[in-house]
Amino acid sequence: MRLKTSLEPSAFTLSEMMLAIAISGVVFGATLTSSTSLQKSFNAIDNYFGTHMQQIRIVDYLSRDVKRGLIVTTSADLQTVTITVPNYIIQAGDPEAVANPALVGTPRTPTMSYTPSGWQVNYGNTTSTVVYSISGMSILRTENGAVTTIASSTDQLVPQTTDVELANTEYTQTSITFQPIFTSGGAVAERSGTTVYSTAYLRNKRRG
Amino acid sequence: MRARRPAEEGNVLICALCTILIISLIGANVLSNCTTRFNVSSSQVRSWKESLFAAEAGGDIAYAQVRKTVMDPTHAFTGWTNSGAQHVSPLTTFGSNGLATTTVVDLFYYDPITGNPWYRSRSKGTAPVNGVSRTGMDDRMGAGSRGDSLLRKIDFRTDHFVAIYGPNGDGVGKTLVAVPNPQITRRIEQISAPVTPFEAAIKCTGSFYGLGSAAQVDSYNSKNGPYYFAANNPADPHFSDSRSGSVEIGTPVATVNGMLYGNISTNGGTLRPSSSITGTIDNNVPFTCPPFLMPTNMPAPQLAPTSVTSTVSITPPAAATAAVPTYYLFSALSGNLTINAVGAAQTYVAIHVTNDMTAHIDVKPNVHVKIFFDGNMDVKGRDIENETGLAANLQYYAISPADPNATQYIHIAPPGDFAATFYAPSADVVLNGNPDLTGAVVCKTFYGNGNTSWHYDRSLDTEGDAVDYRIVSYVEDIR
Repeated sequence: MRLKTSLEPSAFTLSEMMLAIAISGVVFGATLTSSTSLQKSFNAIDNYFGTHMQQIRIVDYLSRDVKRGLIVTTSADLQTVTITVPNYIIQAGDPEAVANPALVGTPRTPTMSYTPSGWQVNYGNTTSTVVYSISGMSILRTENGAVTTIASSTDQLVPQTTDVELANTEYTQTSITFQPIFTSGGAVAERSGTTVYSTAYLRNKRRG
Repeated sequence: MRARRPAEEGNVLICALCTILIISLIGANVLSNCTTRFNVSSSQVRSWKESLFAAEAGGDIAYAQVRKTVMDPTHAFTGWTNSGAQHVSPLTTFGSNGLATTTVVDLFYYDPITGNPWYRSRSKGTAPVNGVSRTGMDDRMGAGSRGDSLLRKIDFRTDHFVAIYGPNGDGVGKTLVAVPNPQITRRIEQISAPVTPFEAAIKCTGSFYGLGSAAQVDSYNSKNGPYYFAANNPADPHFSDSRSGSVEIGTPVATVNGMLYGNISTNGGTLRPSSSITGTIDNNVPFTCPPFLMPTNMPAPQLAPTSVTSTVSITPPAAATAAVPTYYLFSALSGNLTINAVGAAQTYVAIHVTNDMTAHIDVKPNVHVKIFFDGNMDVKGRDIENETGLAANLQYYAISPADPNATQYIHIAPPGDFAATFYAPSADVVLNGNPDLTGAVVCKTFYGNGNTSWHYDRSLDTEGDAVDYRIVSYVEDIR
């Protein structure tokens, strides 16, 4: 048996269509807006934490070099730090390396000397110099002329370091801020709220 | 009968799947980013710091063993693998995060003047990195730039240090060593230097009385020539060496007389500035001097003599060195002992007296003598004959009694001027008369009632047997 089908045309009325389009438009607009907001928000948070990781990296680099350092000086604007560190590893061109090239890349045996301020342990006749500085959006670490970019961000990372000399030692205090990309009227708290602080002491007796 | 099927049913399913796909992609992206950030902040940074803590803990363990070489020599490096001058620690694990450390200590240098050994400690600290290794590191920084992997060298599958530099970092024995779990290892090197005992003219852990009202304590530096009085002449080229006749007292009990060209400190005393003290006064300086034990690194003793009860003159068979002197073991030292140099060579002699010390000692030029005695010392000033006048050439060491309640004394009576040093942290020192004295004393209590002229030789700052160690250098191997 065959069912009888209706031949009457079926469709939405104009008012139904308009209502459906209106609702769809609202839903689509809301989805689009929230997606964009979500994407912006995610991007901002990702950027925030990415830059925060770079803050930690700068602090860790600085602390490592200060701990093994002999002298630390900071510039007047607190944005350039110069650290003198022992020449622990024999480099090509060093006197030991010239005498025996096989020693390149090996740890150096220290020599001792007595100075008016007590015993001094020296790794080689010279020391290395490590400089931390800002170049544009990047934080640079330069060791004996070799430049390494240790942090780079469009978030205006600003490290500031002071060094405080004590009788035999010295310590540095570093604070690093950045400007998050999501803003709220340019309030001061936007930058200050991102501050990471660090203090590091020389492990060696201060030489300068 | 056949039901009517709307033609739009398939679209709904596709739309739903697409929506799920897009949301999943967003979620995966978020999760991926979060995991990497989380790994860096909670695990990699933490492990990187903890591995340094572990290495420094290893350095502390090694430093404690180095200190034992002078304070408890029989137990130094017990439980370590000892091979000649090198000592390797067992693996120490500690902390709730499974930190591990090992240290290699080697005696790498002897001070040519004192013979005291210096130690180098190379410590390795390892911290596990939690999380799966495939999440990697946060290197997102800029085109062509690496971020964290330049600083935090994580061994995800193999030990990069051993593979590139060898286990000792000297390029020898490079090999691939698998690590069971991701880990970070940091290495530090510390140098332990001997602390010598004569940092002040008089140092006593107990009470102090002295000296006479007309006495004076000043200083000079024998490296600049013989002593002369310069403490009142700022224009003198050696004025800066003349006001280091310092006194350190470890209790509040201090009766200080005479003129002191130097600093003075007590532990809770009530000393006040006066015209009789040129330096600083600090009444808040506590300190201790550990008991002195006979060094265990002496060579075999000479066969003769084995005691001196009459007049004896000895010339060592060889000049020897400060680190390995010619060694005599005496059961008694009560006569007259003359010690000659080997030709014109600087001659180093060590004597251990297992009894009281009452002898007259004559130390000829170029001779450097250390006398260790187990009992008491009772002599006159003239019995301490040090012909060069350099206090460092005649050093007395009183071995602390095994019983901490036992008394030990050093009595020096007039007449006679002398030049010598005394390290006797367990002894009561009594100095009578008005000698002209060059040297330094470290003792338990001090009593001196004479108008002594006491000259501390600043070159003593680096003289004498090691009584402790301090870390003088720290460097990290950042490879």
